[in-house]
Amino acid sequence: MNYEKITKKVAKQYGVDVEVSADERSVFLRGQCGNWADIVAIGKMYVTEGKHVVNDIQLIGHTEQPERLPKLTDSALDGTSWDVVVIGGGISGCAVARELTRYKLKVLLVEKHSDVARGASGANNGMVHAGIDLKHQCLKLKYGVGGNAIYGDVCKELGVDFRRSGQYVIFDSKLIRFFAKGTVKRATRHGIPGVRILGKDEIAQVEPAVKDFAVGALYAPSTGYVSPYQLTIAYAENAVQNGATVSLNTAVLGMEMADGLVAKVVTNRGTLSAKCVVNCAGVFADKVAAMAGDRYFSIHPRRGTDLMLDPKAEGVPTQTISMGPSLKSVSKFGSGSTKGGGVIRTADGNYLLGPDAVEIPDREDTSTNAQSLANVFAKHSQVCPTLRRSDIIAYFSGVRAPTYEEDFIIERSAKVANLVHVAGIQSPGITAAPLFSKDVAEIVRQYLLSAGEQVVLNDAFDPVRPRPVKARQLDDDARDKLIQSDPDFGKIICRCEEISLGEIKQALHNPLGVHTIDGVKRRVRAGMGRCQGGFCMPLITDIIAKETNGQCTDVAKDDIGSNVAVGKIKEV
Amino acid sequence: MDFDVVVVGGGPAGLAAAIKADERGERVLVIEREARLGGILKQCIHDGFGVVRFGEKLSGPEYADRFISQLKQTKVQTSLFSFVTHAEKSEKGFHLTYVCKDGVKNVRCNRLILATGCRERTRNGIFIHGDRCAGVYTAGAAQNLVNMLGVMPGKKVVILGSGDIGLIMARRLTLEGATVVGVYEAKPTPSGLTRNIHQCLHDFDIPLHLSQTVTRVFGEERLQEVEICDVDDKMRPIAGTEQRVQCDCLVLAVGLIPENELARSLTVPLDPCTKGAFVDQNCQTLVDGVFACGNALHVNDLVDYVSESGEIAACGAASGPRKLLNIDKEGKLLYIVPQRLDVNAPADKVVMYFRASEELQNQCLTVSVDGETVFTKNYRRLLPPEMERIVLDLGKAATAQRIVVRLEDK
Repeated sequence: MNYEKITKKVAKQYGVDVEVSADERSVFLRGQCGNWADIVAIGKMYVTEGKHVVNDIQLIGHTEQPERLPKLTDSALDGTSWDVVVIGGGISGCAVARELTRYKLKVLLVEKHSDVARGASGANNGMVHAGIDLKHQCLKLKYGVGGNAIYGDVCKELGVDFRRSGQYVIFDSKLIRFFAKGTVKRATRHGIPGVRILGKDEIAQVEPAVKDFAVGALYAPSTGYVSPYQLTIAYAENAVQNGATVSLNTAVLGMEMADGLVAKVVTNRGTLSAKCVVNCAGVFADKVAAMAGDRYFSIHPRRGTDLMLDPKAEGVPTQTISMGPSLKSVSKFGSGSTKGGGVIRTADGNYLLGPDAVEIPDREDTSTNAQSLANVFAKHSQVCPTLRRSDIIAYFSGVRAPTYEEDFIIERSAKVANLVHVAGIQSPGITAAPLFSKDVAEIVRQYLLSAGEQVVLNDAFDPVRPRPVKARQLDDDARDKLIQSDPDFGKIICRCEEISLGEIKQALHNPLGVHTIDGVKRRVRAGMGRCQGGFCMPLITDIIAKETNGQCTDVAKDDIGSNVAVGKIKEV
Repeated sequence: MDFDVVVVGGGPAGLAAAIKADERGERVLVIEREARLGGILKQCIHDGFGVVRFGEKLSGPEYADRFISQLKQTKVQTSLFSFVTHAEKSEKGFHLTYVCKDGVKNVRCNRLILATGCRERTRNGIFIHGDRCAGVYTAGAAQNLVNMLGVMPGKKVVILGSGDIGLIMARRLTLEGATVVGVYEAKPTPSGLTRNIHQCLHDFDIPLHLSQTVTRVFGEERLQEVEICDVDDKMRPIAGTEQRVQCDCLVLAVGLIPENELARSLTVPLDPCTKGAFVDQNCQTLVDGVFACGNALHVNDLVDYVSESGEIAACGAASGPRKLLNIDKEGKLLYIVPQRLDVNAPADKVVMYFRASEELQNQCLTVSVDGETVFTKNYRRLLPPEMERIVLDLGKAATAQRIVVRLEDK
């Protein structure tokens, strides 16, 4: 590829002088630029077949925020040795750890936060994509479509709710509906089941909310919905059940190399040795690669904001719907704009509006802002004009971890033999993880075998993670029986989501040992309703203190140091 | 089980309703979702409750206790830590399903009194952006932490909202050793009772900043700073006026919303002005047999009126089919309750509550039936935070076409 040509174009278009170098895997960019969006756009211009982009163009006047590290230093892991160390407790890391426990291996998963699913896996809309947006063969398509196909089985094994209720992309012009035929053909070619075009009457019947403007819709029946953090938690719990160790509040600070291999992993909880390391570090995947001297791709953080709607809001659609492309953007048909987004009916029966996609320089900036909220609302409420801003009960942002090539990287490093990268995992990462995690486990197994290690099946492996009791989903008879067996299931603590003391206690006895307000919230939804924990947060603080034989002042919202209270009264 | 009346909610409205219904010889059940009776009064340990009703200043728990001990003398049954999961209406009355520690229970009743209280608006409800750190609490949650759990939500506190709860919390946190940096209010006038501005802020030298609001919060684990903005006359933040204030706790006292989830499930129509049900003079909603009272009906500023509305609801037994006439509001009224008159029921002592929509001087309230004025009252000053109560004789309205409540310049 002629990089000179691109560099000239960049200089003309953005006024930026890019210094380019390349090796067999990557093209490296250096320079300075005053605008982050331009830096990302420039990075994309250098994407060519077969090479990754490492973009080191600096944002003028910007100092990168230091990585947030756990407020903890000890030697809990010092001197320990492991067969496999998985870095990162998102959906990728937790699924990989669980798949590895099918073998008799000493597996350690390290996560720097106080719980798993704290990054993008905990802040997305939980759509299990059909894959209708993907144009070409790529890992996203392979694992997305394949992952979707096994989703029901995986969720059943792991005791997580999953609903396959499809999605509808609404057309307001006949021309667009005509063009959509191409999408149907492509979907069929890619093995996506059941994709078809619905006529005006058909879509009006399915979703009355759009009958005034819809002339048709693209229907993808295989699209499903899962709680992404509950699935991540379930994977982590099943991994622990099967012998893996999950070490929370544990950040990887560096690596010690020997003979071209990662010999030791340095953390805030001690230095440990590992035969094989799996990099599932999300937005930090390129930084972790760099620790092993193996930086051959760049992650450019891309933030998305979702809005949660009051389920009782008037005129909320009953299905997941999004607007198809407009005539203006028809040339982009089939691009990311039609994939997800819109009004999403989640696995829990809530409604989400969103997300958007904003390139940002800071990897951990999950703060929300008025502009994103306004944009998301304006864009996605088109399919549901009766919605009002006052119907929004919560909003959150997550940061995606794309590479410039915008595909997954799932491979053993060409340079560091015992390092496996699971990087660039963004949408449809939640969809793809159940499948690619199996392949990652196989890559690890092959490596260990090649290194002369023994890898035998774990006969005791149990794929089933017991489904937590959800009292509100039971019929009255079953619920009555449950309460007879344990009266705590009859004591409602969270009134908005109808969560009982029994369910909260069950969540607190989780195998990961998470005892935080947000940990309870992620596991059983207490505090997620319209009062946003106003009533139940103090009650849950008290319950956590009692269940852990601690004080209310010890109870944290989430990470270490995020205590609900700063001390006892009259003592501060 | 069968009851004449089921009262949902054992706070001040529900307690008063249950006692009154029992007095009338009805079989009453109170379903309370918390472990104790008293509602939010349990955590309101400051005084000022009961001035209208008892002529003395009681604390919240004392006020509640007067009713709770009275309730114990009655035949009223109570079910604590009980949560209604389902309600439906049939020809045989109302069928309620609730869960409690003993299991899933079903009851039937002729009349249903909803005394479900209100909830607080949250950070998201007023679109405060930024990080998701610990230290941002609604005033009620902060009050619970301090008064029930005995822990401090912060050492250096910013309070947003000058409603009574915000003011009370400013004083409370100061007394427990915290520094209240300031109370911020987006409106140009304070939202709380005048007496609370004096007793809770002035007496403790706590600054009150009007026409300013919190727009953003910053902090990793715990709150470190908030962003304050001036607002324009429509209460929108003005760009360029941002300033940062250091604090480790933000207490939000930004409004209360009546809780009407159960009312909605019974298709009770709600008034967008009060966010509670439309009711007639007996607190009966537009669904026959369903009554609403207390803060579930409209947010009150004095508990005395909460209890009063509970008693009105309890007395409103159906004696025949209703004939409802709209009571229209005109002029600068935020809302009126009741919004309907049942002309088939006694109407000689109709208790009406209203609030002005803005701060007003020299106003005249008139009530007219078919154009004929039946009530007038002059007000030298009206404030939205101070709810007004009047008693009307609308006995002559039986054949009327139109009733109008109007607030205008004198």
